[in-house]
Amino acid sequence: MMDAFKLFFDYVGAFFILYMIGYASFLFLSVTVGSSVLYQLKQRNKLKNELQSEYYIPVSILVPAYNEAVTIEASIRSLLALEYKLYEIVVVDDGSQDDTSRIVCEAFRMQQISRPIQRKIPCQPEEFVFESHEWGVPITLIRKKNGGKADALNMGINACRYPYFICMDADSVLQYDSLEKIVRPVLEEGNVVAVGGAVRPCNGAEIENGRVISYHMPDRIIPCMQVLEYDRSFLAARILFDKFNGSVIISGAFGLFKKNIVIDAGGYDPTTMGEDMELVIKLHVFCREHNIPYRMRYATDAICWTQAPEHLKDLCRQRRRWHIGLFQSMIRHRQIFLNTKYGLVGMISYLYFLFYELLSPYIELFGLFTVVLAFAVDLINVPFMILFFAIYVVYSAILSLTAFFARIHTIDLKLTVTDTLKAVGLCVAEISCLRFILAWTRATALIGYRRKKHSWGTIQRQTIKFK
Amino acid sequence: MRIENMIYIYGAVCASMILFNLVYNLLLTRSQPRMERRCRRIKAGVEAQLQESREKGQINPSHLSLLGRRLRRVNNLIAFNRALEELFEGRPEEKADYLHQIQSVMLSLALVYRTRNDMQAAYFAYFLSRTMQLRQMPIDSLQDIMLDYIGKHNLYCRVNGLNALYDFGTAERVAQALRIQDDGTVFLHEKILTEGLLSYKGDHDELIHILWSRLYTYSTHTKLAILNYIRFRSGDYCREMFSIMQDGREDKELRLSAIRYFGKYVYPPALNPLLTFLADPSPEHWEYATVAASSLANYAGERVISALTEALHSTSWYVRSAASQSLEHHHVNYSDLIDVVAGQDRYAREMITYRLESRKLRKQEVTPS
Repeated sequence: MMDAFKLFFDYVGAFFILYMIGYASFLFLSVTVGSSVLYQLKQRNKLKNELQSEYYIPVSILVPAYNEAVTIEASIRSLLALEYKLYEIVVVDDGSQDDTSRIVCEAFRMQQISRPIQRKIPCQPEEFVFESHEWGVPITLIRKKNGGKADALNMGINACRYPYFICMDADSVLQYDSLEKIVRPVLEEGNVVAVGGAVRPCNGAEIENGRVISYHMPDRIIPCMQVLEYDRSFLAARILFDKFNGSVIISGAFGLFKKNIVIDAGGYDPTTMGEDMELVIKLHVFCREHNIPYRMRYATDAICWTQAPEHLKDLCRQRRRWHIGLFQSMIRHRQIFLNTKYGLVGMISYLYFLFYELLSPYIELFGLFTVVLAFAVDLINVPFMILFFAIYVVYSAILSLTAFFARIHTIDLKLTVTDTLKAVGLCVAEISCLRFILAWTRATALIGYRRKKHSWGTIQRQTIKFK
Repeated sequence: MRIENMIYIYGAVCASMILFNLVYNLLLTRSQPRMERRCRRIKAGVEAQLQESREKGQINPSHLSLLGRRLRRVNNLIAFNRALEELFEGRPEEKADYLHQIQSVMLSLALVYRTRNDMQAAYFAYFLSRTMQLRQMPIDSLQDIMLDYIGKHNLYCRVNGLNALYDFGTAERVAQALRIQDDGTVFLHEKILTEGLLSYKGDHDELIHILWSRLYTYSTHTKLAILNYIRFRSGDYCREMFSIMQDGREDKELRLSAIRYFGKYVYPPALNPLLTFLADPSPEHWEYATVAASSLANYAGERVISALTEALHSTSWYVRSAASQSLEHHHVNYSDLIDVVAGQDRYAREMITYRLESRKLRKQEVTPS
């Protein structure tokens, strides 16, 4: 019996060594590449190796909204303050049960109009359309039957006028220069079909007319940990994937897409929760299957400020949704797994997301279970285990802090000593505690997910304090 | 053992990254005051030379050699650029005089930065485009060196180099530069080319004349940018554009650009071809019909109104939309279009109703308080 246990633990040990080496190497690569790209970008900006702001590509901003009465007005006002010459705002109210539409109509003096909308992508029918042209930027409000976020975005794509569109969340705020920055990759390369923007938690930031006036780490612990997590996982990893055209996620909170290619690919899939990831993988598949040369870029300096959940309950709910979305997207496009036809997207990106995102909560929980089991049968070296865990925490903490400081330094944010200490302390807590809580949340996310297919994610909203 | 080594290596690299972060942060906090100091010093030096120039009629030769040495460092060049901008704000004549006197330094620096890495070379081209805006120094050799910058396989070198030439280059050099960037190695969006050409500080008629005479030496991509540029700058090329529009073997985008030209400049001989494009029912020609419908907004006459009204029944959404927009431009109202508004074709009815409502809405709207 003991021999069987030993054999089992040998295999488990070998598996985890390989698994952790893979993860450590990935994390290491992503943070080093991410940091160096950020510093290089800063140097480039200093030496004016950038396209000046005179070149404008017309852009439609799509704002899908569901029960956003609290935040929608501030969001639209912040969009009106963007420093960009040629854009329109299309708000799609997905059958809200609150006063979202009424607030928009009253705040922006919208007028009802019978506007024909071309159905290039199927979506739920509109109930009414309002327009306003008196703010310098055309605003359109479309109220439609509830169909989910993807369906609302499809309606926005059908209704928008310009060749590129931006999808964003109604509770987010774009930095004043974000449109100019997110459009740059399109001007720099001829075949860009999508550009991801950098999403940052705005908790702790004071923003006026889309500009950061002051910045400090959020007061609450949960959003504070997310700031660190965003920098490590989102910023660094996405820069690395961008290097080999392997991005499979462009956040639904801020991304730019070429409209005609999205329409040709079929638009957002309303049957998935992770419509943003699903669309990006779909675009990879579509372009490769039709031999269309394409690039997906990540614009690290195009910034969107978003409200990170303040409470653990909201955070868990958000992550559950993300995990279900990940699962659905990966299952739907499983044909690209290790398929050379899809290049590095299938060989690296898919593999990474499968093992280190989708399966990681199960693997981590399995790891904990084997530790307990090994302890029960007295087959574990406790001091070594503690040492190993400590190495893991310190290593991850260093990488988190490297990504965090690289980001802070390269966008000229100033931190106080208290903020720095907070970052150092909380990155350890994030790695050793929050990570496991979220692993459990993600591991249980798929239980009963089919019931929530079309639901919008809801977190406790706060009035946006953007001036 | 190997795994332990790996952990050590990773740990060491992580520690160096943290160290790099700390050092970088330290340098960053000090770089701003250092740049301020540099800027102040340069300003004081230039001020002194200006004074000397006023008194003796020229600046001191030692200033030239000092600039020649110091500005080889890119940080000094950044500080110099900033100092000039601050110092000569609202004093263009003095700036022109000073820059004229340091021409030789610029020339030698252009040779120096030509061999530097792309990032620094691009900055030098940017610096030239900022300082030579007054076109007081169309030095031939400097323009020739700029062509070398544009020949580098780097987007920013090309864009900044082109911007510099738009500021102080001759039409001939700009045309050469466009040819050089057209080598297919670096993608330059046609918008960048068109907007750049529009910013040219010299004689646009001369530039357009040269570009047109060499149009067929450029790639389609650059040709398109040139045609768009001509559309924005000159109405004197109707005959030439007409032949492009009518040439069935010509690239689609170029023909569409030519059709747009006739939307901006009314040319009676173009009317019939435009109506023919609009009436073409072939689904693969919807783009020609759409652009023609938009261009017809500026052509008066019963035939035009009737063709646009007919186009409201097109199977293409885009043609219907463009036709309704042009009809709106012709100030038609409900009674003129009663057949459509009360007709059986729902798509045509919806489109024109929207346009007419939209016009009403715009009239009602007031400027925001």
